[in-house]
Amino acid sequence: MNQCYGCNTCKSADKPLETYIAGLPMETSHHRVDSQSTKCAFGLQGVCCRLCANGPCRITPESPRGICGANADTIVTRNLLRAVASGSGCYIHVVENTALNVKNTARTHGEIKGVDTLNRLAALFSIQEADIHKRAEAVADAVLKDLYLPEYEKMALTEKLAYAPRYERWKELGILPGGAKSEVFHGVVKCSTNLNSDPVNMLLDCLKLGISTGIYGLVLTNLLNDIVLGEPQIRLAPVGLRVIDPDYINIMITGHQHSMFTFLQDRLTHQDVKDKARKAGAKGFKLVGCTCVGQDLQLRGAHYTEIFDGHAGNNYTSEAILATGGIDAVISEFNCTLPGIEPICDQLQIKQICIDNVAKKANAELKEFDFDSRPAVTDEIIDDIVAAYQARRGHVPMNLLPDHGNDNTLTGVSETSLKAFLGGTWQPLIDLIVAGDIKGVAGVVGCSNLTAGGHDVLTVDLVKELIARDIIVLTAGCSSGGIENCGLMTPEAARYAGPKLRAVCEKLGIPPVLNFGPCLAIGRLEIVATELAEALKVDLPQLPLVLSAAQWLEEQALADGCYGLALGLPLHLGLPPFVTGSPVAVQVLTEDMKTLTGGQVIINGNPKESADILEAIIAEKRQGLNL
Amino acid sequence: MKYVIIGAGVAGVEAARTIRGLDPDGEIRMISADTQIHSRCMLHKFISGERDGQGLDFTEKDFFDRYRIQWQKGTRVRQVCPDRKEVVLDTGQPVSYDRLLVAAGADSFIPPVGELRKASNVYGLRNLSDAQAIVEEAGQARQVLVIGSGLVGLDAAYGLLERGMKLTVVEMADRILPVQLDAHAAAAYQTAFEKEGVRFLLGRKASEAPCGPDGRIHQVILDNGDTVPCDLVIVAAGVRPALAFLEGSGIACDRGITVDASMKTSVEDVYAAGDITGLSGIWPNAADQGRIAGKSMCGGNASYTDTYAVKNTINFFRLVTLCVGRIREEEGDQIHIREDRTQYKRMLVRDGRIQGILLQGNIAGAGIWQYLIKNRIDISHIQKDVFDISFADFYQTDSRGSYQWNV
Amino acid sequence: MKRILIEYEKCDGCKNCSAACMQAHRKTPGTIYDLDLTDPEHESRNRILKDAHGHYRPIFCRHCDEPECVKSCMSGALCKDPDSGHVFYDETRCGSCFMCVMNCPFGVLKPDTMTSSKVIKCDFCVNAGGEPSCVKSCPKKAIHVEEV
Repeated sequence: MNQCYGCNTCKSADKPLETYIAGLPMETSHHRVDSQSTKCAFGLQGVCCRLCANGPCRITPESPRGICGANADTIVTRNLLRAVASGSGCYIHVVENTALNVKNTARTHGEIKGVDTLNRLAALFSIQEADIHKRAEAVADAVLKDLYLPEYEKMALTEKLAYAPRYERWKELGILPGGAKSEVFHGVVKCSTNLNSDPVNMLLDCLKLGISTGIYGLVLTNLLNDIVLGEPQIRLAPVGLRVIDPDYINIMITGHQHSMFTFLQDRLTHQDVKDKARKAGAKGFKLVGCTCVGQDLQLRGAHYTEIFDGHAGNNYTSEAILATGGIDAVISEFNCTLPGIEPICDQLQIKQICIDNVAKKANAELKEFDFDSRPAVTDEIIDDIVAAYQARRGHVPMNLLPDHGNDNTLTGVSETSLKAFLGGTWQPLIDLIVAGDIKGVAGVVGCSNLTAGGHDVLTVDLVKELIARDIIVLTAGCSSGGIENCGLMTPEAARYAGPKLRAVCEKLGIPPVLNFGPCLAIGRLEIVATELAEALKVDLPQLPLVLSAAQWLEEQALADGCYGLALGLPLHLGLPPFVTGSPVAVQVLTEDMKTLTGGQVIINGNPKESADILEAIIAEKRQGLNL
Repeated sequence: MKYVIIGAGVAGVEAARTIRGLDPDGEIRMISADTQIHSRCMLHKFISGERDGQGLDFTEKDFFDRYRIQWQKGTRVRQVCPDRKEVVLDTGQPVSYDRLLVAAGADSFIPPVGELRKASNVYGLRNLSDAQAIVEEAGQARQVLVIGSGLVGLDAAYGLLERGMKLTVVEMADRILPVQLDAHAAAAYQTAFEKEGVRFLLGRKASEAPCGPDGRIHQVILDNGDTVPCDLVIVAAGVRPALAFLEGSGIACDRGITVDASMKTSVEDVYAAGDITGLSGIWPNAADQGRIAGKSMCGGNASYTDTYAVKNTINFFRLVTLCVGRIREEEGDQIHIREDRTQYKRMLVRDGRIQGILLQGNIAGAGIWQYLIKNRIDISHIQKDVFDISFADFYQTDSRGSYQWNV
Repeated sequence: MKRILIEYEKCDGCKNCSAACMQAHRKTPGTIYDLDLTDPEHESRNRILKDAHGHYRPIFCRHCDEPECVKSCMSGALCKDPDSGHVFYDETRCGSCFMCVMNCPFGVLKPDTMTSSKVIKCDFCVNAGGEPSCVKSCPKKAIHVEEV
């Protein structure tokens, strides 16, 4: 026997990481996949209902209805709507805080780093304030006003931000959302005990929540962040566990709300704070990126080269990052902060601090973010982290993996930076698509999970299949973290692409997989898609564009997915979203959606088969455009 | 019909039980040197004091009454005379039979080193009487030397640890339990024993063992010249079938009594089962042979086919190990290893068939491996990590709900 | 004899049978609501395994006609009851050698997780009136007791 915690860890697409985790002396999520492998089929199919005291009721041949009379269709869609409402709530929470931070920054005459984005939004919202701070405040107020509308009042910015043909279709379907927070409320009410039992009605609500989530939670969060944090710039950056430099006091950040870190990021570079680190024996402070907020920081890394070490890994890499021993503190503000990091933090004396109570971890100290008291709270946090550093370094074993990842992942890709890279117009990309050098575009987005073949296994295999077929891949979410650590976002990865795409990549010096950053950046992909559609004068469903949330994990991903369906895009999922027990849900999602919005759900866990299906859809769309 | 069974170990007991099931009226007589029915696999529990002699009994409380068996205990058989169809006891008393089962087991082998065979403080560990004598000696002894670190040697050491003895174990091989384990798994047990104060001298053998004037051995000299002082010597160097009393009987013997598949010997109406046949040294097989012999003796048609005996389980200090099949690797073997803080697993696979497996720390549900190994089942088509293979991959039931292997 | 029969094609892997088995063998009184599902003292006698294709295969003791566990038991702890035909285990007699674990060809038996000193074995819920708890708990009605 040896010191390894368990020899039955799940597979990872990232082989060095797989080996590293298998050798760890502590338990991680990768260890628990095996003991959780017998899954209850009622749960898997979504036909277990716990909404009332008569339950849990489960659907079997002898009991096709719950005690209340709900059948599989009702139970499944009720559960799905709950999940989508919850996921939407998460993103709306993020955009609300982001808008408040923009507003407060503007109010206090803080730095506006993304003037172009501010002006773009102001123009879109018809805001004509000469003063930059007043302009920014007005933009934030416009967003907040919409978020807080009642459910029966449609949000004003939807029409300004949505692609016109889409907006018209949504209007026809009656799924234009009211106030985004109220829509979550409405969804939660609708799926409670003995209220709605109409599966199609509930599925339409899912689409409505998808729209409010997508336009506000995704698109606007990105743009608001750009205003105060700076716009993405394309560059090469290091990724993986190699980014951890043990000479520094290292802070791992997890969550989704980049604007909450602005003040801390700046403060950590001030001389008096750097002196604190030096006095404690370190060279200074570094932020180590993890989960989507790490992706966000990486995306805007050009603005933060002094403080940001690089993105170390996605949600299911977080335990490994901590296990290196090189991390002294975790600051989290949202998901995906796994509960499983807590015992590891305890064991390795890593200080856990939460700055948003919605994601308060059991053994973390809550130092709630408050704009006005930022200076004092930030200094308290810094002092706590210095104390943790001094208490643990020298006593806690180091288990670094300095060769993990790579130094030249292309990052900083956004709707603006990519367009600028192409010469300020999408025409070169359109030309390549028309010529067939790029067969189509696949957005491989969303999370990482451990059950679709293992950690990032389906995602990475699918990406390889797609690029080998000359389909360019754009990513956003934790999937990006896995794909980049596997080296597919380095310019050298062009060799994995099909001959035509490879030639394009080699000519431009870019990888065949372009990283847009966090899951929020699914909104940026949508902007790209919309601008391409505009240029081609077609609607979104006509584009040779597919989405895959191959390893979707959580409720937020389901809300994102509903946005994709509302946009009329084909959406591939590696694992079904607990709906297969309902014939109606399956029919609507995989077939009827094509006539509703133009979208469709494709469920397939095999990378090759999935790529075949997506390639066939792209071929069909190309044909529709006479390409 | 008169059935006589020599020996009251598991082979004799199972034969008697089987015979009674098939022949309600026959006369069954068991003759044994043992005065108490006991499981040899639990002698260490007697030595440690965890159980008394009664606690080692593996039969039903009323075994002899229930199956109407006459038991002549504490009696040795001096001679077997097939021509007269009788056995002669050491008292000189003849006992006649219609069918005879020889299941007298084996004796500890004391190697001809120095005066080990002569000395009065040297014991094997085979019978309850050995364990009783060891316990008695242990009352006065402080230092115990165990020669051999197989299962019996370690059983003795394990039991004596409870009595506060200072123990030294000498082993010829470079590791303990050399037949059952690889070096890695053996080291785990060695560490556990050493933690309790046991000293191992590996790669060594006894070369001199002089008797003192009191007829006892006080020190043993090893092949490197080192001297091991001792008050008590336990020799665990294997066993030999107890064949002495068969001399002149005409019953053909090789290493043990030669038997056919029905457990019949070369002589009409004489059968043999258990360790005396030399076929295997493990409990389940001896029991099986006893049952087959019993059936054959009643005229039934039965044969000993499940002869697979390369299997063992080990449990010391709550560290459990299972080993089945070949443990030593050969060229061309695929070696699979899984290891963590709770377990060590090692499997040898060749041509899609498992040759041997060693599981230490976790043996839950591990019964399937014996089946896969002894039946040489091809596992190459199963798309799973080899250690994740289970009966689920061969699942089948018959109309009565019994499991069957779908291979 | 009575045997637990399982229509395994119906198994959905919900593990209700395992929870019921744990409840039936808990040491302290209580209901399924307060059963500590994390306490290895309550470990289940049955389990659901998957074949390579992901199909659920319930592994339950069959109380075999010729039980290999009984044949290999060197302490007398395992006996096939002549009246009921069920294989019963007497923990107090067990010598913890685990030859039964090694010899059960179907991999049903295992040592207890807490102490590695006894065998975890189906007792047909004999202390609960011989009506196995797993049977009643199956939502798919896939588990039956039948005279065979």
